[in-house]
Amino acid sequence: MISEEKLKILTESAKYDVSCSSSGSGRTNGGGMGNAAPAGCCHSFTPDGRCISLLKILLSNRCIYSCRYCPNRADADVPRASATPEEIAELTLDFYKRNYIEGLFLSSAVEKTPDFTMERLLAAVRLLRTKYRFHGYIHLKGIPRADAGLVSEAAKYADRMSYNLELPTEASLKLLAPQKSTESLLSPMRQLVKEKAEFKEEHKKGHFLPAGQTTQLIVGASPEPDSRIVRLSEALYHKMGLKRVYYSSYVPVVQDSLLPTLPVGQLREHRLYQADWLLRFYGFTAEEIAPEGENLPLEYDPKCAWALRNPQCFPVEVNTAPLEMLLRVPGIGGRGAYKITEARRYAALDFGDLKRMRIVLKRAKHFITCKGKYLGAKDERAVKGLLALGARQDEARQMSLFDEPERWSLGGADSAGVLVGAAILGGAGSAGGAGEGRMLSPAVWLLGTRETALAALTGEL
Amino acid sequence: MIYLTDGTRDGFLTAFLAAWGDEEAVLLPKNKRPLGPCVEIVPDPKRAQKALCRFRELDGGCMRELDRLLRCGDEGHIQTAFRYLLLIAKRGGPVRGMLSHPDVLKAEQALRRVAHEIDRMKGFVRFSESASGALYAPLSPDNDIVDILARHFQKRLPEYPFVLHDVKRKKAAVWDGEHLFLAPLEKAEVMLSADEDGWQTLWKTYYSAVNIPSRERLRQQRGYLPVRYRKFMTEFQ
Repeated sequence: MISEEKLKILTESAKYDVSCSSSGSGRTNGGGMGNAAPAGCCHSFTPDGRCISLLKILLSNRCIYSCRYCPNRADADVPRASATPEEIAELTLDFYKRNYIEGLFLSSAVEKTPDFTMERLLAAVRLLRTKYRFHGYIHLKGIPRADAGLVSEAAKYADRMSYNLELPTEASLKLLAPQKSTESLLSPMRQLVKEKAEFKEEHKKGHFLPAGQTTQLIVGASPEPDSRIVRLSEALYHKMGLKRVYYSSYVPVVQDSLLPTLPVGQLREHRLYQADWLLRFYGFTAEEIAPEGENLPLEYDPKCAWALRNPQCFPVEVNTAPLEMLLRVPGIGGRGAYKITEARRYAALDFGDLKRMRIVLKRAKHFITCKGKYLGAKDERAVKGLLALGARQDEARQMSLFDEPERWSLGGADSAGVLVGAAILGGAGSAGGAGEGRMLSPAVWLLGTRETALAALTGEL
Repeated sequence: MIYLTDGTRDGFLTAFLAAWGDEEAVLLPKNKRPLGPCVEIVPDPKRAQKALCRFRELDGGCMRELDRLLRCGDEGHIQTAFRYLLLIAKRGGPVRGMLSHPDVLKAEQALRRVAHEIDRMKGFVRFSESASGALYAPLSPDNDIVDILARHFQKRLPEYPFVLHDVKRKKAAVWDGEHLFLAPLEKAEVMLSADEDGWQTLWKTYYSAVNIPSRERLRQQRGYLPVRYRKFMTEFQ
């Protein structure tokens, strides 16, 4: 049994990686322990609001690299520890058996050399899969500059692998993580994409990274605007086939002259996640979401901001608008749009119906008509005023006729608090696996119930 | 008229046949008997089977939905199921898309709550290992879902016998390694294995170490993991 002290050190070193989801794999139990749930599963939630799905841990935090932003960098004065592959495997199995976790998220600092580290990571997952016949979810971090053969070997055992790009441009990476380069991160990612395609061609059965790849970007440690980040994400989804890009607002855990001393507001991170969802599930392009060189506006969510920039598209008639357009209405999400398209086949809908169907009208009412009727504000300026963050406390009360308890409220007394509270803090997958997956056209995403949507999401398996 | 049913599917379908055509019919579970006149329904498996077949013809998915609705722990869940199936019978086909209809809406919301709790409990169940190696987990879900959860864990841990104990309904789903069955269970005495304490301590260590204290979001945590579920979870004990 691993010691408490070691577990503590290796967990605390791993916790700033925001990826948490356990979805996308349909691995079944073929004797031994465990299986994977295609939609993922959250096992607990910590006081910071993030979900615990996988046992997120480092194999070692003894690092030869000195990335400026990293708490484990070589010259940092922190307690160090390394676990053995056997210790990690045993810990995973015993936690899994008690249903504490959905699987393992194993990462490591670069100990001695990239190859040495990758070999140890590989040893741990191989042990789990072969000796202990473990079929639960395994997310493995790739080590940049490790041997290509080790990488493909690891991919045979893992459900998902990820290389963290961390910073959106080569220049920032050079400045803050001098031992890494964009190429050292992108080339294994490309390699895995290629090998997965080859594997699929040759094999009908078996697994090769069934849950694909993800990455993470630190927001606010370097000066790139959001438009740059959103474009990068779009490219990663389209060209690399990534399943997810995670955003982590920078937390200053180490002092450094090159880094900001204050934490970046989590509202920015939240806006990036909203933009990310628009890219993947709502049919938006990066160009529409964030004009070149700009940051996402903080006072409006990105969909709202797009609608305000494009008033000529609104209002849309709920009873006739195509699905693609309903999805572009601020305040109407995937589920709401699906409900509307279903219900309107039977009867024309009015505002009362929408309210009863629990479609949130706070924002939407300014952009829709029901049977020709419009209930929003009279002119564009009024709409802008009403929707801006924190600017509509009184209005929200006045408009109570169709108000709904809204989880993602823009207004309210401590609007920032509410909003960030609702923000999918890092663990965007926590709200359920349905958010997870590759780029889907809205039509696929909305075909039928949650189950069929999930089936569509995981159809590739 | 008020019809009392025993909560089983046969009981419900028998009651459905009796209440069908009665504009003011209210279906209630037996233990919620109100004052005043009621009809107590005795399940009739034969007639129920007939109704079942007919419903399957009308809407292939509605009997699965009925199963879920009968598990629902909400007040009035039997009436919700009745109104929903009545609408299917009247319209002669599936109605689940009629989301602006109040009866469909109610059923849909109840179904969502049951499904949501199943999803949640798949994660929130906490097993302890007994001295014999079998796993034991107490839980008290809002809905009667312990057997559905048991099927999930049977697929996941086929080599480990386990007992899922619904403390509220005083019953347990048991997997003995070969058979899955339900049994009444009032109280369970479990002898824990020698290592159990050690693993529980490690889990608590992990739980507190993985948290980022500077980002406290207790409200969000409560939304995802309501306090009522924490009673049996190791990390909150």
